[in-house]
Amino acid sequence: MSGTGTIPLAERRWSLLVTVLAFALPVVFVLVPLAIFLGYSFFSVDQGTIVHTLSLGNYVRFFTDPIFLPVFWNTIVLCLSVAAICILLAYPAAYFLTTLKGRWRYALLMLLLVPLLMSYVIKIYAIRSILGLNGFLNKALVGLGILQEPSTLFVFNMNAILLTLTLLLIPFAILPIFLSLERIPQVLLRASDDLGASGLQTFLRITLPLSLPGVASAASFVFVLAIGDFLTPQMVGGISGFTFGRILYSQFGTAYNWPFGAALSVALAVVVIAAILVGERFGRNRGTAI
Amino acid sequence: MGLKKLFLRMAAIGLGIGLMTSAALAANLRVLAWDGYADPDWVKDFTAATGVGVDVVFIGSDDEIWAKIKGSEGQDFDVFAVNTAQLQRYIKADLVSPIDVTKLANQKEVLPRFRDLTAVSGVTKDGKVYGIPFCFDSIGLIYDTDKVKPAPTSMSVLWDPAYKGKVLAYDNGEHNFSFTALTLGYKDPFNLNEEQIAAVKAKLVELKRNVLSFYTTADEAQQIYQNNDVALIWANYGQQQVKALQKIGAHVAYVNPSEGALAWLDNWVISKGVRDNAAAEKWIDFMLSKKVSGELSERTGFGNTMTETGSAAATTSWSGSTMSRTR
Repeated sequence: MSGTGTIPLAERRWSLLVTVLAFALPVVFVLVPLAIFLGYSFFSVDQGTIVHTLSLGNYVRFFTDPIFLPVFWNTIVLCLSVAAICILLAYPAAYFLTTLKGRWRYALLMLLLVPLLMSYVIKIYAIRSILGLNGFLNKALVGLGILQEPSTLFVFNMNAILLTLTLLLIPFAILPIFLSLERIPQVLLRASDDLGASGLQTFLRITLPLSLPGVASAASFVFVLAIGDFLTPQMVGGISGFTFGRILYSQFGTAYNWPFGAALSVALAVVVIAAILVGERFGRNRGTAI
Repeated sequence: MGLKKLFLRMAAIGLGIGLMTSAALAANLRVLAWDGYADPDWVKDFTAATGVGVDVVFIGSDDEIWAKIKGSEGQDFDVFAVNTAQLQRYIKADLVSPIDVTKLANQKEVLPRFRDLTAVSGVTKDGKVYGIPFCFDSIGLIYDTDKVKPAPTSMSVLWDPAYKGKVLAYDNGEHNFSFTALTLGYKDPFNLNEEQIAAVKAKLVELKRNVLSFYTTADEAQQIYQNNDVALIWANYGQQQVKALQKIGAHVAYVNPSEGALAWLDNWVISKGVRDNAAAEKWIDFMLSKKVSGELSERTGFGNTMTETGSAAATTSWSGSTMSRTR
């Protein structure tokens, strides 16, 4: 650090480098792979080898084969249900958290987020054991006299996927809702109270509308994570719990048809991007309305 | 400015760490194998004896091996385990390298029927050796002795409506086709005509309705067995699975079906993208050693090529007419 003239030059060079890096990272690690993916979706496979000639065959197959579209819609409905259930369970939990004072609030929040530190596979294994015919859930239900005998309704079907995904993804719903609830200025609630509104009125007219951006982002988080998951359905879905993620997974493994898998991924990406845009738009509109 | 500096420093450190780890990994032998083929104590002994570090990746199906090897054109692994039925496909696709058998001291000590590798169907091509056989077993049926009475003799029991929702199937298209073809009485389950394939497919759809779920690894089958009402398991891992289930106190037994069982013989092969051929040869030779081969049979119940074992598999000939070629 001697000459005063050299510092701005070096600084400019650094800042140029940083700018290039800042743009290069998303381009190299996000845009380029996505472009390659899109490119692959126009190839085809013959006798276990990828043929690099462009065709729309994969997309035609996706839209015309009677297998894929129904599974696609069912999966979307399944993941919307997961998102809805997660919100219904997460909202009261997050609301309860905001009513706590000081240290308790964050201690409890941490506790709710601890499952995120555990391995995803191990969690699914554990949940599968719990849902099994001899599992904890059945034992508890029979023990409490709710069921006469253990039920096979909880595992290796769509219910199992719904339950497992909900359980796995709830933390992702709690966090954004909690943050949006926490940001609501207390003065608004007090003003509402001063003006004679009841607790329910305050909640419905102040708290709920102001927390909707959080709900929107929570819903899109959960939906996107659920629809991209293939492991959960593969492990707990059995023969009837067949989802789009499983078809996709088999294209890259068993079937060795990467191009078709890429085309299916593009279809999935469209839904995911739409979900994110909807979530964000909804969230922002409400946010600016304050 | 401080932030930028910090960012740059972090990037530099990240790059440094990245380079270091890739340099460290570059020296290691990359092995792709089934569970039970590269136990940690063997890997440790191998590294102690040869100075070569090892990275093992485990797989759960033949299709997965193909996807991993073909997907990288053999560049991602040095050595992998594959069965004789699959190996020709890899040779044809130019994904494996010929092996110089003279470099494998232990290969001279193998059981007589494995000594002449040209006599072992599927491991050679044009006089070159591509695979070194090291273990084998049959694919039979595991049944719960409390739930399935009388003891089954044929795979057709898997279709029995009495066991609806109590059947565990293996997640692999190829084997399911082969064994169903055998169950339907086809003479050559590995070469089916269009009509036979359609019949097998229809039969498999029927089987699906009886199935509780599909598994890939032996551990997974065991976990599902423990938590659910499972009566029959299509046993891709043969003796290895029986052993593991009996260990946890399950009342199970194993049968080789009367219509003929599928059997397999696994080989160590060297991939096209091998980085250090000598290290790969050392690995194969080490795995062939009497100690490791014997321990492999002891732990998994599979037969091996070095020592005679009294397992059921040893009495089933993997080279027999229908009892061959696939895992």
